[in-house]
Amino acid sequence: MSWNASNSAAPWWRTLAFRLSAGYALAGLCLVFLATASLYLVLRAELEKSTDLFLADKLHVVRTLLRERPDDWDALREEIELESAARRYEQFYIRLLDEHARPLLTTPRMAEQLNLSLLASQIERRPDHPFSMKGTHGQTFWVTSASAEVGSPSKRTDTVEIAIDVSQQEALLARYRRWFLATLLGCFAIFPLIGYRVARHGIRPVEEIATTAQHISSTNLHERILPEGYPFELASLAHTFNKMLDRLEESFQRISRFSADIAHDLRTPVNNIRGETEVALVRERTADEYRDVLGSCLEEAVRLSDLISDLLFLARAESPLSHLRRERVNVAELLDGVRDYYQASAEDGGISLSTAAGAEPVIAEMDRSLVQRAVGNLVSNAVTHTPSGGSIVLATKLGTRAEASTVHIEVSDTGEGIPPEALPKVFDRFYRVDTSRSQASGGTGLGLAIVQSIMLLHGGSVGIDSQVGQGTRVTLRMPVSGSR
Amino acid sequence: MRILVIEDESKTAKFLKKGLSEAGFVVDVAGDGLEGLYLAQEVDFELLILDVMLPGLDGWQVLTRLRQAGRRAPVLFLTARDAVHERVRGFELGGDDYLVKPFAFSELLARVRSLLRRVPLRQLETIRMADLEIDLARQRVTRAGQRLDLTAKQFLLLSLLARRAGEVLSRTLIAEAVWDMNFDSDTNVVDVSVRRLRSKVDDPFPLKLIHTVRGAGYVLECEQ
Repeated sequence: MSWNASNSAAPWWRTLAFRLSAGYALAGLCLVFLATASLYLVLRAELEKSTDLFLADKLHVVRTLLRERPDDWDALREEIELESAARRYEQFYIRLLDEHARPLLTTPRMAEQLNLSLLASQIERRPDHPFSMKGTHGQTFWVTSASAEVGSPSKRTDTVEIAIDVSQQEALLARYRRWFLATLLGCFAIFPLIGYRVARHGIRPVEEIATTAQHISSTNLHERILPEGYPFELASLAHTFNKMLDRLEESFQRISRFSADIAHDLRTPVNNIRGETEVALVRERTADEYRDVLGSCLEEAVRLSDLISDLLFLARAESPLSHLRRERVNVAELLDGVRDYYQASAEDGGISLSTAAGAEPVIAEMDRSLVQRAVGNLVSNAVTHTPSGGSIVLATKLGTRAEASTVHIEVSDTGEGIPPEALPKVFDRFYRVDTSRSQASGGTGLGLAIVQSIMLLHGGSVGIDSQVGQGTRVTLRMPVSGSR
Repeated sequence: MRILVIEDESKTAKFLKKGLSEAGFVVDVAGDGLEGLYLAQEVDFELLILDVMLPGLDGWQVLTRLRQAGRRAPVLFLTARDAVHERVRGFELGGDDYLVKPFAFSELLARVRSLLRRVPLRQLETIRMADLEIDLARQRVTRAGQRLDLTAKQFLLLSLLARRAGEVLSRTLIAEAVWDMNFDSDTNVVDVSVRRLRSKVDDPFPLKLIHTVRGAGYVLECEQ
């Protein structure tokens, strides 16, 4: 079983289980990654937005105070020095500078937390834009600045600088990232395992089918795959497979029966030749006796030749290379020819043999001598099986509307008929309805098989219907034109 | 008339030689393609009977080389393989006829004769044999002065036998010539027709003219 060996030696990355589990794992990881990443991005954006809003709010309060109540230093001090100092988290620091960048008010401990000269130079570079900078203890600050009119109408323009400590938010995001990474790692480990289990589970029925298939050889063709318990798709595979086995088994049986039949049919004439010759040679015979034996041997040899050429004909007809010599044939004329040929035999048996002329001429493209042979075989059978006083009619017509491109040839007799149980088998090779008359009637048992293969070669078919004691009608159907 | 048989199967070669010699030909036999080719080039044969499957050179090669050497003698192929494309190939290479084994010797003889045009068909107005007279033009047959009432096919059959009188005609050949039936099964139909012809031509008369050659066919001759 070299096929089996090569199958099990397939590299693991080419197995279906691997491909499926890799696919599942990849899809799962992508999904988790996208979900977590998008959540992270949304969270960060929201945090930044709330910080910005807070800064803008503070700025607005300070600027309003400066504009509306430029001399209310208590209110300003409350706003700048006290409120910030009271906060425990998200502490913010505010510095108010005059036109010459001299600090007027500063939140206490701002200088401890932030490098103020660096802050000033950063703001110089990016006025009116919030930005982030590091504090002296490594905290992250979100910083913005804006000019503020003092008094209304304006007496001078001060500058407000606000820095807010966003270390808490940073820490939150960092924790989130760690979680994200851990989840991804976990999924990376678990998903392939789950995928593998799912894939194995899905593939197992296929493997079972394959195992059954491997066990089936020509000796146990009767084994079948039980289609129960499989998912729908695989049940249909199992069903298809079983159908194929049915056909295989049937053709195996046919071949072996056919070989047995050939052997039998060859054996009989060979046995006759051998026996007659042997007996003749036992002692001296007269010339007439020798002539008789030789003649009999010749007859048997002719029978063998006929059988061989019939078998060869069938074998050739089955070959896909066989081709027809199609020509335009007037079918009624062809039937007349066959009728003339068998006329003497029919008259001898007291049977009337006639052709029924149709209204219109039937012209079709066919291999004349093959169709002649098919019709001849049918008439020959009819003559053999029709008792004296009966009749045989050959008829042809074009098919009715639905199959107008089909030509029909009918051979009907009023003979003894064929029992219904034998009807499906009459086109089998070597099948004889009446086995006792096989040799006497001189046929090879291949006549109808030949008729059938001639029709198949023409792309047509044969139909037979019969009533015991009433007669038999065989219908040949083939396309009018060969170029289909 | 000299015929060369190139055939490696010794029994086949033997019966071909015997049969053809008895039919009045001088027969040489070669057992393989090379020997056959040599003989065919050395000696002037009127006809070659050539097996296709041969040791040394096969039949096709022998024929090709013979034709190259300018030998024009007709060639009759014998083969166990009956495929249309082989037949066509044989004719393309310059073969003249083709017989598939197993064949009837009478058939072979008939083809050999027709290849050699040894028995030209008698294109006569009237054929006479003993007291039988066949008027081909008026399709009338008389025997011992008595007019015989034959059907058209019976007349065709009788005139075929008469034209090739003395020659054994196989059932296949008769079916083909008289009824245009080109298949070789079920030839016992011919027997029935011949029997019916006999009942008119021979039965009423003491001298029988139509003879059966067992396993081969029929012959019209006047055995004294």
